[in-house]
Amino acid sequence: MCDTCGCPSPSDHSHDHNHDHSHGHSQTKTVDVHASLFAANDALARANREHFDEIGAVALNLISSPGSGKTTLLEHTIEALKGEINIGVIEGDIETERDADRIRAKGVPVVQLTTGGACHLDAAMTHKGFHRLQKEPGGDKIDLLFIENVGNLVCPSTFDLGEHERVVFVSVPEGPDKPSKYPKAFTSSQTFVITKTDLLPYFDFPVEEARGDALRLNPNLRTMELASPTGEGMEKWLDYLRELVAAMKARKNL
Amino acid sequence: MHEISLVEGLFQQLRDLAAENNTTRITTVTMEIGPLCGVVLDSFQFGFDILSADDEMLRGSKLIVKIPEVQYRCSDCGHVETVAGPKPDGCPKCGDLLLIPSGGEDLMLLQVEME
Repeated sequence: MCDTCGCPSPSDHSHDHNHDHSHGHSQTKTVDVHASLFAANDALARANREHFDEIGAVALNLISSPGSGKTTLLEHTIEALKGEINIGVIEGDIETERDADRIRAKGVPVVQLTTGGACHLDAAMTHKGFHRLQKEPGGDKIDLLFIENVGNLVCPSTFDLGEHERVVFVSVPEGPDKPSKYPKAFTSSQTFVITKTDLLPYFDFPVEEARGDALRLNPNLRTMELASPTGEGMEKWLDYLRELVAAMKARKNL
Repeated sequence: MHEISLVEGLFQQLRDLAAENNTTRITTVTMEIGPLCGVVLDSFQFGFDILSADDEMLRGSKLIVKIPEVQYRCSDCGHVETVAGPKPDGCPKCGDLLLIPSGGEDLMLLQVEME
């Protein structure tokens, strides 16, 4: 059957039918699809999220430009929460094991995903990465999973990995205009962290402007500022993580 | 930045669709590209052009793009502005700058014409 007008398609033509319209179109066939190109990723992301829920792990997708201090913040976070929260890390980079080596040195399970050129992680990579992580020592009891995305403020914002929350970082040297320039990273995140605030005296970075622009885009954003090497602002960040983990535990114990 | 890989994914979907329909030739592909889906129209068209030129099944095929409207709700007065183009600078009723978008985030394959 031809999907457009209901006439028989060439393969089942018997040529004894009597409808009167032209057969100039009989060689073409129109198929309505209505399928999202993101559907495959989104379905896998949902499966990932269900899996994280099942094992009671809070998953955070960390998004920023390269060099915003995500890995350094993770190193300090792991130190601060040692013995309190079991952390696991999936590191995404285009090349090298460097970030994973830094995290491994802190004694928590970590896997490095190298995308080999791709500008973002997707749900399939996250799925594979998490199963590898579960086989690492300590990987079977993770309360808090950090997924450090490829350094890029553009593409990662389009791909759901199955995280519970998305955190976007901007460091002081990058300048305050990132929320306006890369809105999707901010509209799709729940939390906005300004890092390297210890450098504020040396850069022109009006914190209020960056925060205001981000809140204009996404009024529900939670915002915080910190400098992980000095510890400034770290308590608010750590409390945010503690609350997420406690809320997940409470849900699991219902 | 990842438009070419999205076009590659689309072509895989089209190959499956062509196989299901016993056809080897696709003539027209209609897509809906939401203004907020993170895809640059020109880059997507460029990816489609260069990859289809190299593909037996899709050579010479036409890409039709439909752009859906996005609704922006003013967080202050609640006014909803429906826009087909770029995001409005502020609420046309009260001037407030906090507009919450809804819709326009998907990238959909709508329809395929084949021979």
